[in-house]
Amino acid sequence: MARTAAPAQKAPGRRSQRPDRAIAEVSRASTWARWARLTFLVPAVLYVLFAFLIPIVYNLILSFEQTSPATISSLFAPFAGIANYKNALVQAVTQSAIIRTFTFTFLSLLFQFVIGFGLALLFNLNFPLRRVARSLVIIPWLLPLLITGFIFKFLFQTEAGAVNQILADMHLVSHPIGFLTSPGWAYLTVLIANVWIGIPFFAVLLYSALQDVPLELKEAAMLDGANAWQRLIRVTLPVIRPVIEVVFVLGFVFTIKVFDVVIGLTQGGPANSTEILAPWAYNLTFQQFEYGQGAAINTILLLIALFAAPVYIWLNRESLRRA
Amino acid sequence: MTRQRKFTAALAALGALVTLVILLFPLYAVIVGSLETNNQLLGTHYNFLPPTPKFSNYSAVISSQGGHIVSTLIIGVFTALLVLAIAVPAAHALARYRFRVTAMLVGGLLIAQILPAIVIANSLFLIYHKLHLLNSYPGLILADASYGVPFSILVLRAFMLGLPNDVLQAARVDGASEWRTFVRVVLPMSRSAVITVAVFAFLNGWGDFIFALTLLSGSSFQPITLSVYSYIGEFTSNIGEALALCVIGILPAAMLLIAAQRYIAAGLTVGSVKG
Repeated sequence: MARTAAPAQKAPGRRSQRPDRAIAEVSRASTWARWARLTFLVPAVLYVLFAFLIPIVYNLILSFEQTSPATISSLFAPFAGIANYKNALVQAVTQSAIIRTFTFTFLSLLFQFVIGFGLALLFNLNFPLRRVARSLVIIPWLLPLLITGFIFKFLFQTEAGAVNQILADMHLVSHPIGFLTSPGWAYLTVLIANVWIGIPFFAVLLYSALQDVPLELKEAAMLDGANAWQRLIRVTLPVIRPVIEVVFVLGFVFTIKVFDVVIGLTQGGPANSTEILAPWAYNLTFQQFEYGQGAAINTILLLIALFAAPVYIWLNRESLRRA
Repeated sequence: MTRQRKFTAALAALGALVTLVILLFPLYAVIVGSLETNNQLLGTHYNFLPPTPKFSNYSAVISSQGGHIVSTLIIGVFTALLVLAIAVPAAHALARYRFRVTAMLVGGLLIAQILPAIVIANSLFLIYHKLHLLNSYPGLILADASYGVPFSILVLRAFMLGLPNDVLQAARVDGASEWRTFVRVVLPMSRSAVITVAVFAFLNGWGDFIFALTLLSGSSFQPITLSVYSYIGEFTSNIGEALALCVIGILPAAMLLIAAQRYIAAGLTVGSVKG
């Protein structure tokens, strides 16, 4: 700090010595500086074009084209109207994948919030080693998602799987459950894995929100005779509501595009019971070589994700206002 | 009162302990599994402790996957460098100067953050096919940076908006060029935010699977996520090695959490992080 503050004291002295020249320098610099300022932005603008805008537009074009493995080497293929959307949407897998994407997202967010908020409340209490506990909780969020999928595949194996072993040791089951071989269980397993990944995000954000709840508010409520539950509902929740909104919007965005965990665990099976939109788009494009239909599914996924855009931008209005 | 408080603390500690045991059990299980032989792993019984702990899976996986581990490191490091090269100057400009397009750019970045990587990956596959960027480090690293660029610009900008304006003003009046102000004043003051962003960009590159799966096929190099993926196909034959590779795959996250915990918590709190 001291080092960077030093020029501030020097500046006035120099300017007072030769005022006219200093002014000339500043104005000459400013024309040049305007260009210099723009150059700071050039890499980012080029990158956004390359990695976001062009792929999105290209995906949209592709979804209206008559594609085949033969058209892959040419940039554009013949116009196909809405055939790709039609052909994709008549498939039962697509229909159930759309519905499943929503139920999966809803259930994931529900459990992530309940467990994450519980942990946040827990960490808000004073107990030994809570700092260590808090940082250990972050780990699931940082792991490569595919590896998480693989780890859960290992845990939920039928034979010699840890979860089946624990259930058997507790005498809850007599035969091992086919977690990854029966449709209903497979869906639940993918859900559990995804909830596991998202808990840290909810816990850390909600915890930091709880830390910012003014103590006086809670004390005032306590003096008014509110019990712990009433304080939570009437004081804490309203105060941290903005954070809850952000967490849910971002959680929605993360969950809608879940891909790696499904591939690592079930690859959409058994019997398409865990097929959601992102892995299904991949399947159409890279396994069935239906680029057009894959692009159509991607457009649908994109539209669902963009539902969150206005809300997300509104939640970030403060940062936009400072633009 | 104090007695009650002590009781609450003990109860909370116990609750935290139980939650942590459940939450971290998957990691414990992989580590234990990585020390077992295939026969022990595929028996009729799950072992909560390795019967005969051995590191042979690790030596096997390092000799068969050593090159891929190095590749993954290269991808992670260069993804972080690329994200920084793009995001730090842009964040500085968006925080410090008023452009007519600033609001539009910030809004665009917020939307870019929302876009599913699979949509980008499918398009990039076809675009790369024509540009001959498939199966190349530059192609993959360019794609992997997409996880981090919007997030990083937004986080760094938010941080830089908080820097004291008079210091920057002073540097400018002192005759320092825009570039010098940026390098000598803004960069050192933003160190902690830059570290946060770099850590996450590295983890994005290290852990990426979507772009590796779509943009590499039969290339001479691959990240370990692709290796783990290929183990899925032969799940039973090499599960011990696969688990050892999983442990290696989660090491950077664990190490960075110990070394840079402050920065990781900061990055999480500022907002969205994951692709």
